[in-house]
Amino acid sequence: MAWKRFMEHRIGMIGLTVILFNLFLAFAAPWIATQDPLKIEPKNIASPPSKANFFGTDGLGRDIFSRVIYGSRISLIVSLLSVLAAMVPGVILGSMAGYFGRWVDIIIMRFMDAVMSFPAILLAIGIIAVRGGSLYNVVIALSVVYTPVFYRITRGSVLSLKEKAFVEAAMASGNTPSTIIARHILPNCMAPIIVQITVSLAYAIIAEASLSFLGLGAPPPAPSWGNILSDARDFMMDAPWMTVFPGIAITLSVVGFNMFGDALRDVLDPRLK
Amino acid sequence: MLKYIFKRTFYIIPSLILVAFLVFFLIHLIPGDPAHVMLGDSGTEEDVAALRKSMGLDRPLHTQFILWIGKVGRGDLGVSIYDKRPISQSIRERFPVTLTLTTLAMIISLLLALPSGVLAAVYNNTRIDYLFMLVTIFGVSIPGFWLGLMGLLLFSLHLGWFPAVGFVSIEEDFFQGLRYMILPSITLGLYMAAVVARMARSSMLEVIRLEYVTHARAKGLTEWKVIAKHALKNAFGPTLTTIGIQYGMLLGGAVVIETVFSLPGLGKYLMVAIFGRDYPVVQGCILFMSITYMLINLIVDILYVYFDPQIEYQ
Repeated sequence: MAWKRFMEHRIGMIGLTVILFNLFLAFAAPWIATQDPLKIEPKNIASPPSKANFFGTDGLGRDIFSRVIYGSRISLIVSLLSVLAAMVPGVILGSMAGYFGRWVDIIIMRFMDAVMSFPAILLAIGIIAVRGGSLYNVVIALSVVYTPVFYRITRGSVLSLKEKAFVEAAMASGNTPSTIIARHILPNCMAPIIVQITVSLAYAIIAEASLSFLGLGAPPPAPSWGNILSDARDFMMDAPWMTVFPGIAITLSVVGFNMFGDALRDVLDPRLK
Repeated sequence: MLKYIFKRTFYIIPSLILVAFLVFFLIHLIPGDPAHVMLGDSGTEEDVAALRKSMGLDRPLHTQFILWIGKVGRGDLGVSIYDKRPISQSIRERFPVTLTLTTLAMIISLLLALPSGVLAAVYNNTRIDYLFMLVTIFGVSIPGFWLGLMGLLLFSLHLGWFPAVGFVSIEEDFFQGLRYMILPSITLGLYMAAVVARMARSSMLEVIRLEYVTHARAKGLTEWKVIAKHALKNAFGPTLTTIGIQYGMLLGGAVVIETVFSLPGLGKYLMVAIFGRDYPVVQGCILFMSITYMLINLIVDILYVYFDPQIEYQ
């Protein structure tokens, strides 16, 4: 039912196509990339786009096309892992706070509010500043930043569902709280959570690229989109192609998730339109 | 109303303390001995011991926190390990740059977002609306730092409209200073413009369907008057909250944008400190920016009462 409505949503289908294309590039990177993304060629430094190097080469003579293709792997893995690592605790804590209320709610809420009091990317920067720049730490930092978002959405949905007759019936028949939450409540608040997942993925891609650009992401030789752009800065005047292509790659993959997310919201949760 | 303002202001205190604790705790997330890490390989054993003592790292955690928060409460954020200057003074010098950047970005984004969002809602499901949705979806998807790089490439390096390097502060020479700020502020503001515009559109759409708007139309008011006088004020509430939340994005985004355009603001100060392992400065910057963000949201929450008469403020 929902799927059929989604199929009719043009923007959503464009978004889905972009996401699938992006996933395909990431999976098939070794076959699509024309060269080793790490191979340095001192004789071929900063050369413009050509048949041999579709997107030109960078300051070390590395093939930018191959680096951008491999970059989609880092971007997707980091964003998927960090959103997953934010969603699991966010949903668990959110349903606990919503279901039990009282002091459980107060304690968790205070803590989540404090995390949300930081400008998001700033908190991530702070965590990575002390833990050091690596993909693992980027995932940790982004998951800390996004946990409260999932927490809030779940808590809100659980609070309103708790008053519904079918949940009261489940309580009256003597089910344990965990059964009620898992069987009766969570399946009914999936819509906003799923929408939030896609939106968070879009944010996470931008955040990962920004952190790498600042030098806080994957350490240098790694072909992450942010790293490629950070390397390109020194060649802006003479080799603009270095800056153009990775940015287009980031924008397209984020647009894909945003379009998909918008469409999901229209289809699954018409109230939010 | 006054009571609400007082209560809301009072509520911020526990959050402030918790935020301060998290920032304080940040330094203890450093793998290994913070004093060792900060001084690097060049520090002798005596230097490390001296630093540990001066930062109070040799005392128990709760004593450290109480001492630290006592100092922070008096506006003392400690001294930088790198240049030995008081951090609060450096922040005071750099904050005007960040404040100008974020304020200009906010003004630009509101000027773009509010009229276009309202327009898209009024012309809902027409070509104008579709174009609006397409533009804003790209607006929220283009990474700010890349947009900044492209702006530098096109407007500064090729067209020469704006300076590409250097900086003149707005206090020194207003118009010259503004030239250095325009491109960074536009870059920073476009993302927020797209977010706020979408919010303005959807809250406007919700209000337009309500009975009192129909009533205003039935009274024979012109469409313009209906929108401007009746719908706009009520649609502004949710949009205002978004603006408050987005200010946090601006502050965070400023760190990235200041790096792109080499502006000597707080963000740049923070990034230099991170790479120099100057952790007291890192703490100071993050704490200061977070408190600024919390205060902005406090102001927004209080303003919200004015725009949404239905909200309780007992």
